[in-house]
Amino acid sequence: MRKLEKRALICVVLAMVLFVGLFYYVFQLALKGESWATFEGNMLIYNEGQLNRGKIYDRDGLLLVECNENGVIFNEDSNIRKALAHTTGDLYGNISTGILKSNVDKLVGYSFINGIFTIDDKGEDVYLTLDAEACKVAYEALGSHNGTVGVYNYKTGEILCLVNKPASDPVSLSDGEGSYFNTFFQGTVIPGSTFKVVTSIAAIENLDDIDGFSYECSGGDEIKCTYSHGVVNFEEALAKSCNGAFGEITNELGPGIMEEYVAKLGLTDSYMIEGIKTKKGEFVFSENKTELAWSGIGQGMDRINPCSMMMLMGAIANDGESIEPYYISNNNLLNSNADSLGQIIDKKTAARIEAMLKNNVVVTYGEKNYENLDIYAKSGTAEIDGQSVPNGLFTGYIKNENHPYAFFVYVEKGGSGNQSAGVVAKKVLYSLIN
Amino acid sequence: MDIIGMELPYYTYIVRWILMLLAMYILIRNVKSLLTTRVTPEVWAYLNINEEESLPITHWENVIGRSRSVDLRLKYKTVSKNHGLLLRNKDGSWKYEDLSSTNGTKINHSEVKPREYVNLNIGDKLEIGGVMCTLFPISLEEKNNNEAMRGMDKGPISPWRILIAISIFQLLTVIQLIISLGNSFDPMIAVSIFGLMLIMWAYVMGFRMMGSRGFELELIAFFLSTISLAVVSSSAPGMVFKQFIAICLGLMVLIIMCLYLRSLTRSKITRWLLVFGSVGILITNLVFGTLKYGAVNWLEIGGVSFQPSELVKVAFVWIGAVTLDELYKKKNLNLFMLFSGFCLVCLAIMGDFGTASIYFVTYLIISFLRSGDFSKFTLTMGGAVLLAVMVVRFKPYIANRFSAWRHVWEYADSLGYQQTRTMTATANGGLAGLGAGNGMLKNVAAADTDLVFGMVTEEWGIVIAVLMVLCIITFLLFSTMSIVAGRSTFYSIIACGATTILIFQTILNVFGALDLLPLTGVTFPFVSNGGTSMLTSWAMLAFIKATDMRNNASLAIRHRSSGMATYGEEVN
Repeated sequence: MRKLEKRALICVVLAMVLFVGLFYYVFQLALKGESWATFEGNMLIYNEGQLNRGKIYDRDGLLLVECNENGVIFNEDSNIRKALAHTTGDLYGNISTGILKSNVDKLVGYSFINGIFTIDDKGEDVYLTLDAEACKVAYEALGSHNGTVGVYNYKTGEILCLVNKPASDPVSLSDGEGSYFNTFFQGTVIPGSTFKVVTSIAAIENLDDIDGFSYECSGGDEIKCTYSHGVVNFEEALAKSCNGAFGEITNELGPGIMEEYVAKLGLTDSYMIEGIKTKKGEFVFSENKTELAWSGIGQGMDRINPCSMMMLMGAIANDGESIEPYYISNNNLLNSNADSLGQIIDKKTAARIEAMLKNNVVVTYGEKNYENLDIYAKSGTAEIDGQSVPNGLFTGYIKNENHPYAFFVYVEKGGSGNQSAGVVAKKVLYSLIN
Repeated sequence: MDIIGMELPYYTYIVRWILMLLAMYILIRNVKSLLTTRVTPEVWAYLNINEEESLPITHWENVIGRSRSVDLRLKYKTVSKNHGLLLRNKDGSWKYEDLSSTNGTKINHSEVKPREYVNLNIGDKLEIGGVMCTLFPISLEEKNNNEAMRGMDKGPISPWRILIAISIFQLLTVIQLIISLGNSFDPMIAVSIFGLMLIMWAYVMGFRMMGSRGFELELIAFFLSTISLAVVSSSAPGMVFKQFIAICLGLMVLIIMCLYLRSLTRSKITRWLLVFGSVGILITNLVFGTLKYGAVNWLEIGGVSFQPSELVKVAFVWIGAVTLDELYKKKNLNLFMLFSGFCLVCLAIMGDFGTASIYFVTYLIISFLRSGDFSKFTLTMGGAVLLAVMVVRFKPYIANRFSAWRHVWEYADSLGYQQTRTMTATANGGLAGLGAGNGMLKNVAAADTDLVFGMVTEEWGIVIAVLMVLCIITFLLFSTMSIVAGRSTFYSIIACGATTILIFQTILNVFGALDLLPLTGVTFPFVSNGGTSMLTSWAMLAFIKATDMRNNASLAIRHRSSGMATYGEEVN
């Protein structure tokens, strides 16, 4: 009998296999339950391929999408539908960043503890931090141009405006190309002169004699300026966006420091925003002086992700601390604090660059053009080979106790950044503040 | 009516948590009781050595020898490692067998022939390799002492509170089903579940009056059967009464088998009957079988269809079990090996590879229990794996059946349809489930059989589903823990064989549905819809009950009212 006792351990081993497998499965459930539950084969939450529960509202309680047993019903205003298409998603599941595609768990109210159980099978109300009206304003302000607009609260991380164009009406199948693509998160654009902010930050922290910097701009040889800026110091170089001066500054910094700074300022990072992975910026800093100069002024091979640039502006406004953006309202009271990504810029540097951004507005963009806005900004005009009209960019932030907003606006073929993107930014900011 | 409509969702909202807590109470209490028992073995006699020490004989079958793994250890160099066997006869007398030891054995100074039984009487002088031993009976006083010791063992828990808990569980389940099934609620659902409640109480009360005290195993089975009825109610309401009848039959099988297994001699002889019966039924199946779900493993007799291969599982374990002296016979495995081979060939012809693998693993485990030959164990297993690889390699159509394995999400609407729905169902349910009848998996083919684990996770929650599996594991641990106090290797092997089948079946069922293994279409014991499977599960329970040596606990062991059982009478 005692022999049998020992041999019976083989049975216990078999039981262990069962136990370990079961444990592994529960672990997998905790890890992947969300995607299992929201699988389109889930007959409880999908009727003929249409989600049957959950509602999406904007920050003011405007109903954007309602899913019920009759299908998915969108807001009546077609411009609101289009302006928010990349956020809400569409009827056919073509927009991968849409809540209807990538955040179904929130609409369904999935949790590990409750599964998809809700008392009335009506799902959950999802509140966005977005202001639908402001999104519509942005969408309309872009007019016939493609582009992207993002505005967020740099103290809390709430995104208030998020628009991508081209956008198609989510209730109909798209006709135009690229309308499913969420450029703001998943795309990159040539930053043009907005990149000089990055070069400036590197210069402030690395060039001891930057205060005594002076450059005589004759309109440029290899690195061209729009006109001859004459003799400029560091501040004036940024305000007038002097390519020659910044080419020189970049070469003084060298490729190593430039590489270090795009990384340090979060431009080569990918962020996870509501389950969407943002695209990393791409920069090439060559040993070749001319090529390096081009990179330092945001041309050449530079590609920037719109969201990361908006976050950089937010960090400057927030004394150097970067706050992670989000757009699905968090009704969990315990976890309502802004998620800080840490101090990415030294406080002193932030103050200095802030003064320069203000100076840009005073000297170049005109404070009158931005009445009632305590605005800090940098424009950009990105030249594209073979494209007659350049792309316009305008990025920065406003200081306002109740409205601490940073923004990034990109207008494809918009021409001058200040005159195209700047105008869009102004309209959206006014809409948000009033 | 509207008011009721408003309140209904709140019923599920609250009751699903109550059901989960009840299930935890029921199962954890039973499992804890089974796993914390420490049985003081019954003493059948004493072996006195050199008039110095007395070893208590606690089994009906004992190995005497020098080795560490024997039952009665004599630490003398002249004694062989496995010297001889001391066996208790049906009438309570003893016999001895020498296992071809080096120095031989003498009884009353005359040499004993190796490998032959010799009667050993009380007081006889047994010289084992020159060591003088004497068999002493157990005096009435000692016997009473032992009984008192055994009386102090942690006994089985009282069944009443658990019975009440299961009854509440059943009542709440019926109400939940009325709410969630609405118009498709079949009154037979209530009849079946309340019927189960009735026979459960009748069984426990009846056998309690007759002196049985341990009901943990049956209570777990009653609970699992309740889940089974609820699952069938949800996915195939028309079949629920049939399932209830299967449970009733299963309970009858349990009672009959428990009483039958009380006699070791009877149980041993029955093996031959079972060999012939099994061979007959399997051949009949091959000739007259009908094709269902891709395997010819169904037989229809008089309008009742059943799966012979399920029933033969019971015989298979029974046939595999042997007493200790049979273990020491040369080539003791040959017959069992032959029989196993026959079963496997039959199953292969039927195309039922899931069941074939269960038979094979059970064969492996039982033959290892019998031989202790680990190298043979690994060799056979390795050979089988090689064979499987070859089959898959040279028969691509079989490989195709497994092509979705571990990639089911890539084949979500074809080969991985069932598994992906099962995982989704599990996620739907959360900890406490959506409520019986509220799931979506019930609409998928084989939801209440092959995918039943998924159905339970969805409608009852992952907690109850995990507890179900832990119960099956408990059956096995209880069987292995009981070997210490076991009477005969026959009972221990039969229990370990039965629980091996239950465990391996659970592995195939659960892991198959969840894509940890290929889906083979095997049932979950006690829970899956299916009469034959239910019957077999209850029969396996009888095997486990046959090892339950707790004092007056098991129906499968005759109760000994203290002092009254007389020496010399078979304990049957």
